[in-house]
Amino acid sequence: MKTTICFRLNGEEMEIAVEPNLTLLDMLRERLHITSPKKSCDEGDCGACTVLLNGKAVNSCLVLALSVNGQEVMTLEGLGNAQNLHPLQKHFYEMGGSQCGYCTPGMIMAAKAFLDENPNPTEEEVKEGLSGNLCRCTGYIKPIKATLAAAKEINEGK
Amino acid sequence: MGTIMVEDKIAVTEKYKLGNKYHVLGKSVPKKDVLNKVLGKSKFGADYYADNMVHCKLTRSKHSYAILRSIDASKALAYPGVVTVLTYENVPGLNRQGELIKDEPVLVRIGEKIRKKGDPIACVVAETAKIAEEAAKLITYEADELQPILTVEDALAPDADMIYDNDHNYFIKRVVVHGDVDEAFKKCDIIVENDYKTQIQEHAYIEPEGGFAVYDGEVLTIYACSQNVHLDALDLAENLEIPMNKLRVVQSTTGGGFGGKLDLTVQPYIALAAMKTGRPAKMVFDRKESMKYSVKRHPFDIHVKTGADKTGKIIAFDCLVYGDSGAYASLGPATLTRTATQSAGPYEIDNVRAITYAVTTNNPQAGAMRGFGVPQMAFAVEQNLTELAEKVGIDPIQLRKNNAYQVGSVTPTGQVLQSGVGITKTLEAIEKEGPKYIAPKKEASKPYKKRGVGVASMWYGIGNTGFPNPSGAFVEVLMDGTVHVKIGAADIGQGSDTTMCQIVAEVLGVPYQDVRITSADTGLTPDGGASSASRQTYVSGNACRLAAESVKQSIIRAASVLLDADPDDVGTENYCYFAKSNPEKKVTIKDCACKCHHMGIVPLGHGYYNPPTTLLNMKDGQGIPYGCYAYATQMAEIEVDMRTGHIDVLQIVAAHDVGTAVNPINIEAQIQGGCTMGLGLGLMEEIVIENGEVVTPSFASYMIPTALDVPIYHSIIIEEPDINGPFGAKGVGEPSLIPTAAAIANALYDATGVRIKRLPLTPENVLAELKKAGKAL
Repeated sequence: MKTTICFRLNGEEMEIAVEPNLTLLDMLRERLHITSPKKSCDEGDCGACTVLLNGKAVNSCLVLALSVNGQEVMTLEGLGNAQNLHPLQKHFYEMGGSQCGYCTPGMIMAAKAFLDENPNPTEEEVKEGLSGNLCRCTGYIKPIKATLAAAKEINEGK
Repeated sequence: MGTIMVEDKIAVTEKYKLGNKYHVLGKSVPKKDVLNKVLGKSKFGADYYADNMVHCKLTRSKHSYAILRSIDASKALAYPGVVTVLTYENVPGLNRQGELIKDEPVLVRIGEKIRKKGDPIACVVAETAKIAEEAAKLITYEADELQPILTVEDALAPDADMIYDNDHNYFIKRVVVHGDVDEAFKKCDIIVENDYKTQIQEHAYIEPEGGFAVYDGEVLTIYACSQNVHLDALDLAENLEIPMNKLRVVQSTTGGGFGGKLDLTVQPYIALAAMKTGRPAKMVFDRKESMKYSVKRHPFDIHVKTGADKTGKIIAFDCLVYGDSGAYASLGPATLTRTATQSAGPYEIDNVRAITYAVTTNNPQAGAMRGFGVPQMAFAVEQNLTELAEKVGIDPIQLRKNNAYQVGSVTPTGQVLQSGVGITKTLEAIEKEGPKYIAPKKEASKPYKKRGVGVASMWYGIGNTGFPNPSGAFVEVLMDGTVHVKIGAADIGQGSDTTMCQIVAEVLGVPYQDVRITSADTGLTPDGGASSASRQTYVSGNACRLAAESVKQSIIRAASVLLDADPDDVGTENYCYFAKSNPEKKVTIKDCACKCHHMGIVPLGHGYYNPPTTLLNMKDGQGIPYGCYAYATQMAEIEVDMRTGHIDVLQIVAAHDVGTAVNPINIEAQIQGGCTMGLGLGLMEEIVIENGEVVTPSFASYMIPTALDVPIYHSIIIEEPDINGPFGAKGVGEPSLIPTAAAIANALYDATGVRIKRLPLTPENVLAELKKAGKAL
């Protein structure tokens, strides 16, 4: 049996009928073809499917679509565009923060939620903040440095 | 050419400027592929959708070893939403795939052997992925069970059952013999002899295998993750029985490979499904499927004996290596061949014997994984060398320097090294820079911890071992002066697209941003070989250089007309062409491209390159396996908790000779990523197999390093150009991983006096050894 839910996705009102066992990740990818959240482990171990739910980072594979009724969801698609990169996107791009790119959308969204909470973090705090996002290519150093550089730029712009 | 110290501070592109003679080579320009990646726009295999697409799911064998007798798909076919079920009867061609030996069934035939758990029995094609998954569980089969062979010992026992129609259970035995090893050991003053064991490592790319196929009645197009689209196409053509020119294999953005996406994965099934149903077909492995059934790093049993005179000059080296290659050959034979050629390390030793086996068992197959049989050997050989240095009574770095290859040295395969031998420079860099970060002697941070420092070195032959492995490239200068490069090489995140654009921009004297690349598409690009063996910078880089030089001839011809100068008189500077005899007058590449067309010339260049190798003699392994070699030395600082056995790696100083550095920030990224994977190999990663089945198929049971596990890295790039490399460049992708676990193991010995000869160095393994030595707290 399907239930119709309403929620905001990247600032836009959405209405969609979903089954009770459909995950937020599968709704985004398979129904709405929003493909930046990636499926890698599908059990909350890797962070590749990280999106923001009311501004907080969640593993969208562990969230039921039904539960986002009336809520606000943000994916990487809503963060910036080629003409106007978010500072996190800009520094991941310029500083080698992405190699294969599969973990990148989740990592950037996790970093976004983290910086919203902690705008002036130490390097150790950034490591904590990104520790739920597995990356097999970079060795994490460049994503960490990119997050620190983005924090600096965001703070200077304020 | 100098040494670049890459600081681990906030990276700014400008900082890496080398001040060399090149305008874009050696500059840390941003990668070509990354803008789309930070925007979430890159299309991976799972990101393809079509309204009428079908989804595929495999039913796999539960047996490790059996003969298939029957398949019953009736319940699956009756399941609502199932479109069709594919079995061996639907495979029109060979029904055997494999990188080197065609031994792996696309779908197992009735009457033939199942050789490992998870062999594909049938493939459900359905309206949704969920239906395909449910229906795949309804397919049953009958099989006559055989006694599986699950260890190297059982496989090589004299009365063992033969897994293939053969008189031995191994895919290859390789021998490299140089000098007289047995005689030489008699003259040694010091001999160190040990047994080592390494574990199975999983690639654990974050993207599980996925792909999408479309058939238009004539051409079959496949978009899938891959490290070598042209070999995929050949393998598919043989199994589908369609000509290669009607098969277009396009690499979808590939979420990490590390050797694990060289073999075909989803491609044959989506191809068969698309051709049978006439609808687009999609297949994506789930995490468990990916970790259970993909190829793995070979676990090695290593016996190694190193002998030296009393000054520490290494006189003799002997090793015997068994790698469990599992049920299918994959790249196992090539891996154990490389192991044999490189086992002794970057040291000139007059008497070497290496015997290696890629053993056939009913375990999951092992194949290519970053380092290709060399990291396991480094773990063994570099510990042996450090033990040897202690017995001789000299510093381990000094011992390595005393024995390091020089230009003119002869390798165990009889190759004379002509140029680009940077091992000594990496050792000197570690000797000089290492102590700036890692104090030779320092107290541990806690009374219950011990601190240690360890060093390990490596060499790595760039390209496929002994076999021809050419790459091609097309370069076209368009009428607006922009440049389009077409190459077969797959960029799997390592940055080959970027490297190629830098090389072409350098040759043509055009801005980097004016060069665009299309790569890894058999419908558009020439064959580029595999993105493996750390070979693309060297091999495809040379192809790009040659193609760019060829099109440059046309551009210069046009320039000479426009400038009214002799072609030999034409030079380039600041993105313009000019006559050296009259440098005031300048024309742009756009002017030249337009002039070409007026002259009836298409400014189009092509080139291909093959490393100057020779086949290795099967009897003694003599020959020229590689065109050039990369070298490295790493130093690790660790603390070990003597109560729990837990190791913290605090810092790694990594000195890598990469030849000419094309893009320092990308090289640094490879070093950091490789060291981290090496740290995983050293400390935590282990695929556990019970009765032929992987029982650690998740990130909860198979640990890879997280952001909290990485130490501080200090990367040092050494530039020792090789005459064969494009502008002297070599490679770095695999070398970055190879010495790390060995350096950590040597640091553990330095900290505790306990030498652990088995990977990984988990707290359990370390504590057990500390207890055995009476050193645990």
